[in-house]
Amino acid sequence: MIPFVNAVWAIYRKDLAVWQHNPGILIATIISPLLFFLLLTVEVGAVGLSPVALVTLDTGASGIQMQQIFHQADVFRITDASTEQAQVLLNHLDVAAVITIPADFTARFQAHESSPIVLALNNLNLDFVNDIRRAVPDAITQFYTAQGSASPIKVTMQETDLRHRDVGLLAFMVLPIIVMMLTINGMLTNGTMAASEWETNRIKETLLAPVARSAIIVGKVLAGFTTTFLLGVVVLSFGDLLGWTQPQGIHIVISLLMIALIALFSTGLGVALGAALQRVQPVLIASALLAFGLFMLAGGISVLAFEPAWIQTIAAFSPLTYGVHALEQAVFYSSSDQFVRDVLVMSLSSLVALWLGVLMLQRRIVS
Amino acid sequence: MQKLHYHAQVIWGCMTKEIQTALAERGAAVSQIFRALFFLAIMSYLAIGGGIAPTAVVMNDTGPYARQFYNALANAYSFRLQTASAQEAQNLIEAGKIVAVVTIPADFDTRLQQNQPVQVPVTIDNLNTDFTNDIRRAVPLSITLFYGKAFPQVVTVTPQEHDFYPQDTGYFPYLVVSALVVALMVLGLSTSGESAAREWENGTIKEFLLSPANRFAVVIGKMLGAFLIGLVPLAVLLIVIVAVGVPPLHWGEAIGFSLLTLLIFVAFGNLMGTLLKKRLTTILLAYGAVLPIFAISGPFGPISFQTRITQVIAQLFPPYYAIVLQQHAFHNFTLNTLGLGLNTAILCIYAVGLVVLAALALRRHTAN
Repeated sequence: MIPFVNAVWAIYRKDLAVWQHNPGILIATIISPLLFFLLLTVEVGAVGLSPVALVTLDTGASGIQMQQIFHQADVFRITDASTEQAQVLLNHLDVAAVITIPADFTARFQAHESSPIVLALNNLNLDFVNDIRRAVPDAITQFYTAQGSASPIKVTMQETDLRHRDVGLLAFMVLPIIVMMLTINGMLTNGTMAASEWETNRIKETLLAPVARSAIIVGKVLAGFTTTFLLGVVVLSFGDLLGWTQPQGIHIVISLLMIALIALFSTGLGVALGAALQRVQPVLIASALLAFGLFMLAGGISVLAFEPAWIQTIAAFSPLTYGVHALEQAVFYSSSDQFVRDVLVMSLSSLVALWLGVLMLQRRIVS
Repeated sequence: MQKLHYHAQVIWGCMTKEIQTALAERGAAVSQIFRALFFLAIMSYLAIGGGIAPTAVVMNDTGPYARQFYNALANAYSFRLQTASAQEAQNLIEAGKIVAVVTIPADFDTRLQQNQPVQVPVTIDNLNTDFTNDIRRAVPLSITLFYGKAFPQVVTVTPQEHDFYPQDTGYFPYLVVSALVVALMVLGLSTSGESAAREWENGTIKEFLLSPANRFAVVIGKMLGAFLIGLVPLAVLLIVIVAVGVPPLHWGEAIGFSLLTLLIFVAFGNLMGTLLKKRLTTILLAYGAVLPIFAISGPFGPISFQTRITQVIAQLFPPYYAIVLQQHAFHNFTLNTLGLGLNTAILCIYAVGLVVLAALALRRHTAN
């Protein structure tokens, strides 16, 4: 046992020293999440709010009320404009749509005649176009609701939310970004560093030493895990400072545990890949494809339920699906929903990755 | 004349050496194609769900008004509907298979016939506010659509829509064109960046630096080699995009802008590889920067719809102009007011500038 631990410790220290002499790798790894955070900070004012021009031609009570509802609805970034100004804004792509309250809106509404709200729409793609198509009837419904008991609309929505709080889209994206960084660093970086030892024949000394091959793999994985895990903690802390990822109480420990398991899994897989392919070039490509593939199959930066059934089925076999789920529950909802399942899957996956690494480690030199 | 001939020889020699080195790696050509296709796929993956919320409808009432309400939900641009019992719906939402349950109450038709208020319970798995707010707005839209069909004389305020383009473009056909740009980014950066960094890692850069060859000729030769290697994956990308049902309206533009984009990122990759001198760091930086830069470059719609600071930042990067040009090539969309000529000119300036920078970065010293 002691020789095994000594061997692991020696290899761990050696690989950590390699990391220390390559600070550029750590910097390159952390740049992506930092750029994303910067991006999220910049975009915070615009997500989900389409820019529209509002032309109010009606000075009657209903027209003014409709105008106020559009302003209060918080679904648009509104610019009040004349008809001509609005057309210019639309042509110059400064607004996605022009909403016009016609001059006879109040008169027609009071006469129970058809009272259309005119929507001129730049229908480039369905994503933001449907946002606008939903938002205008929503404002109309609010207009009717404001009529009180006189409103002809008797059907109303009674909403029940499953989660005790809403999470903004940008904050929601932080955790997948952290997971992506852990996965890429774990697989790509550690896989390449492992492969480079074969490529440069530095592995000779390690393989010829009288140490168990499992000790070699464990030492390498632990070194990679240390740096990957610390990167994850740094980025999670950064998210905490920005107010996006703030787990509470015991869920801080759970969050760190899941980051550790994801780091262990991805590092183990990366080292196994490096040991299997033994050349940097193919590892660079294979580990990137595997890392991004596993990440996207876990839902990526979107919600898995929106994906087709066949993707959801495949995602059930991606360990990262469970890692992301546990992290989201802990960080956003202070919940341990299916925690045991998630930890079991991640732990077993990490062990399998370690076992694969040992399996791939052959006591021969690459020619 | 003799000097020009010499430079041409240097360019030719570096180009052929670049191609031979790349092809000497087993499976290199296939892996480049694979890598480009993969990034095209994962970027397009964002659009597969289409932003349509998977929703279960519990039809406790199957009367004519209830069925009309179901149809209104289906036409609200927002839901992927399935009917289910209350228990099934509960199981589905707890399993994360759906994000909303709409329950049409048993007395829906009766209460409407009697002009009485009726509440429709909607349970939402409010994971994030983006799709949650879409659902919150889609239900009132459905109510308005329902009244428009069931009680047209009652609800007189309705939207009257006039569209800029004759038909809507789905999210996937739009995004796959933007995804083409990111695939070209990855292709150019990785092909050229890895090659440049490998020269430094292996020490073979010494021969270049000690030779009397002009550094511009060396860099242009290497870039040409990387560019030619990238042509096959580029062709495959275009074929795949056409195969998934998104052919360009202007083929010449699509091919021309793709070549220009590839050239820019080949130059950028060469610059990165020369400056960083390590393949792993180059690739990590390339992959790490690609996604944020792509996200801020207006892949989902005109950048002018974003905040002012986002617009300023986006216009600093070539992908923004590349996306504008490709959306015109494929869909005839106009995404900014600069015009095709100016957008193309800006990309050309980037290309020339990056080539010059890459050549300047190649200094006459050896790596440690």
